[in-house]
Amino acid sequence: MKKTAIIYSFNTKKTAKIAERIKEAFNDDQVEMVNAEDITEEKFLAYDQIIMGVSTWFDGELPNHWDEFVPALEEMDLKGKKIALFGLGDQVGYPENFLDGLGIMAEVLEAQGAELVGFTPVEGYTFERSRARRGDEFLGLAIDYENQGSMNKERVAAWVDQLRKSFN
Amino acid sequence: MAEKKQYSIKHTDKETLARWLKLMLVGRAIDDRAPNYLKQAIGWSYHAPYAGHDGIQLAIGQVFDRENDHLFPYYRDMLTAHSAGITAEELILNGISKDTDVAGGGRHMSNHFAKPEWNIHNTSSCTGNHTQHAAGLARALKKYKFPGVVISSQGESSVSEGYVYEAINGASNERLPVIFVFQDNGYGISVPKADQTANRKVADNFSGFKYLKIYHCNGKDVFDSMNTMAEAKQYVIDHETPVIVQANCIRIHSHSNSDRHELYRDDYELNYVQEYDPLAKFRRLLLRYERFTEEEIEALENEAKEEVKAAHKAAMSAPDPDPDSIHDFVVPEPYISEKYPEGLHQHEGEPKKLIEALNETLKAEFRHNPDTYIWGQDIAYKEKGGIFNVTKGMQQEFGKERVFNAPIAEDYIVGTANGMSRFNDKLRIVVEGAEFADYFWPAMEQLVETSHDYWRTKGQFSPNITIRLASGGYIGGGLYHSQTIEGALTTFPGIRVVYPSYADDAAGLLRTSIRSRGTTLFLEPKALYNAPKTATPIPDDFEVPFGKARIRREGTDLSIITYGNTTPMCVELADQFREEGKAELEVLDLRSLSPLDTEAILRTVKKTGKVLVVHEDKVFGGFGGEVAAWIMEEAFEYLDGPVKRVGSAFTPVGFSRILEKAILPDIKRIESAVSELLKY
Repeated sequence: MKKTAIIYSFNTKKTAKIAERIKEAFNDDQVEMVNAEDITEEKFLAYDQIIMGVSTWFDGELPNHWDEFVPALEEMDLKGKKIALFGLGDQVGYPENFLDGLGIMAEVLEAQGAELVGFTPVEGYTFERSRARRGDEFLGLAIDYENQGSMNKERVAAWVDQLRKSFN
Repeated sequence: MAEKKQYSIKHTDKETLARWLKLMLVGRAIDDRAPNYLKQAIGWSYHAPYAGHDGIQLAIGQVFDRENDHLFPYYRDMLTAHSAGITAEELILNGISKDTDVAGGGRHMSNHFAKPEWNIHNTSSCTGNHTQHAAGLARALKKYKFPGVVISSQGESSVSEGYVYEAINGASNERLPVIFVFQDNGYGISVPKADQTANRKVADNFSGFKYLKIYHCNGKDVFDSMNTMAEAKQYVIDHETPVIVQANCIRIHSHSNSDRHELYRDDYELNYVQEYDPLAKFRRLLLRYERFTEEEIEALENEAKEEVKAAHKAAMSAPDPDPDSIHDFVVPEPYISEKYPEGLHQHEGEPKKLIEALNETLKAEFRHNPDTYIWGQDIAYKEKGGIFNVTKGMQQEFGKERVFNAPIAEDYIVGTANGMSRFNDKLRIVVEGAEFADYFWPAMEQLVETSHDYWRTKGQFSPNITIRLASGGYIGGGLYHSQTIEGALTTFPGIRVVYPSYADDAAGLLRTSIRSRGTTLFLEPKALYNAPKTATPIPDDFEVPFGKARIRREGTDLSIITYGNTTPMCVELADQFREEGKAELEVLDLRSLSPLDTEAILRTVKKTGKVLVVHEDKVFGGFGGEVAAWIMEEAFEYLDGPVKRVGSAFTPVGFSRILEKAILPDIKRIESAVSELLKY
């Protein structure tokens, strides 16, 4: 597999755990962990295959580390980049904006020409609205630690299998 | 979220970014410093910190154009006020309640920032009730085709108030140019927003409203807030409809200095709200995208510190309010009648009924002043002109722009009157406060608000409103159709209360009310609307000044002090006693309850030495208690007997005619009291 980055905030706990689980599942030296807290245009553009950990804050917002990188992303040419997103949300506590952060990021990346991969079915989740939803799919992997934590392992494994087919 | 991104960290010019940063730094420095004034016992005992709302507050102030727009900030809007142009010194003058506080000379609470001369309105602590003023003012902007919008700002929890619903419903229905901003920090003091309403974003409760656009933005982010507010304002102008902007904020500190948020927020939350500090984020963005160097930011930080230091010094040396000034600006100045200084006339002619007097005077005043308006429930639809036809024919003559129906929302009726009168001091607004006086209670919130607007702005805003209320019983109306409520209404300084009985006095007082500055409750004894006994000749230009009682019957043996429905009863009794040679009763019709003609009361007490106070309202808690108490304090030595009172029983007014008769006062009861008192 080509060099692939998993970019997430190293200051997080749950997102970091999922990121590590993804890396384990890939079991591939080409997968590198990159800290979103000090991401730069240069570092981001160094990869053609990227997995981004994007949680949702407040009532449907990006966490600061991503939100503050959006102005840079909005001026990048991301054609030719394959990007997969995983997001953490709480479908019971915040059913009105489940995984909105992932959805916001997906919109930004698509607008810049990135190819999003790794969509997953919404079946098995209960929520009211999500900016990450398109039809019957999420625009990435939906992780709900609070309510479906026991399914994380299985969901990550299936998603990584799916990504192997999308990534080169 | 805005659709167009007019502002961004990469492309907004550096001068603008510097101005914003400076405003944010000065605002935050004062926000952080405010609690020290309390600790040092200087003042600012109420401080609601805005930290965490920085993005949206900066944006509100920046889109506000003081030449054309109007702004209604709420008590947490310190940066809004500063961004709109209120200086650091003016913020502190308000905080420490100095005489030179531009909001109102220290008369209103601290942290209630305003500058009425710049259309930054002095708003209530009854949070969110200014949404109705915003709607009323926007109604004026629309009617006068004035460019500009009204911006109303409030916390998300106050949207639970019914009056906010009324305001948004009205703005939507009337398509008024208002931006309602909800600053959502998740809490109403300690109450989480989940306890307020089911939708997490309360703006979504209004998603079914027609002619209403809803925006959501990140109130912690300067650019998202700026883009959203700019787009919202343009939307209001382009589409002539109101909008809601819900801004997601955080409250970094406690609700106010009387709250301890550590009692209900855990360490995790207290930590992350610090991490999401909007000012820190803005600073990081400026550095990250190389718009400013660390040194440039530090220079601005130092400038801000110096500005706040100088503002503090100036504010500390400003004069304090003068305790002798407390009676200034309680009630705005009334219209002065030069022709009828005592409110008396010798006109002869065809008697007119009270209802004709009201209808004709309203029409005459609407012809006299093109800036007069009237609205109320059921007031004008085709041939109908009010539940009692007082406004009959007005819409036909003056049109729907000046004479129109209101929704069944009494608070909105009064609240929008208050708001509309803010547009221009020449405007004179008449409202039917409710279909019947005893339906007025929902509007008490706005009446109380209106009662202290003039005082708390130190004379900068006078709500020029006449509130008409069809009052009282004797019609078999029962509850909500037969009470008279002046006993409660006269307890508020800042509001005049008049209660005529006869047609000429009704005409004269109504003219004076409409021509005066300030708010007058005009109580109409509806049982007398068509009564021949209170029909009188009326000069076309008759005026009755406030605070001028009228002797309806001269007498020497006993004084009956009365008003409203009971005046003609007392007059009839006086005539009867005279005819029968029993006694000469003097009947003093107060006409005005507030202000009260104490000189006339004193004169009649001196003349007869015996006083019976008669009114329709309950004896217990009725206005007569105030009259009796005043006489006891000021005229005791002239009395030959106790001051007696006749009024209704301390019960609601029953619907059955049998019950109503048993409850309300009548001539028999008055006669019995008179006879008893004459024995002294």
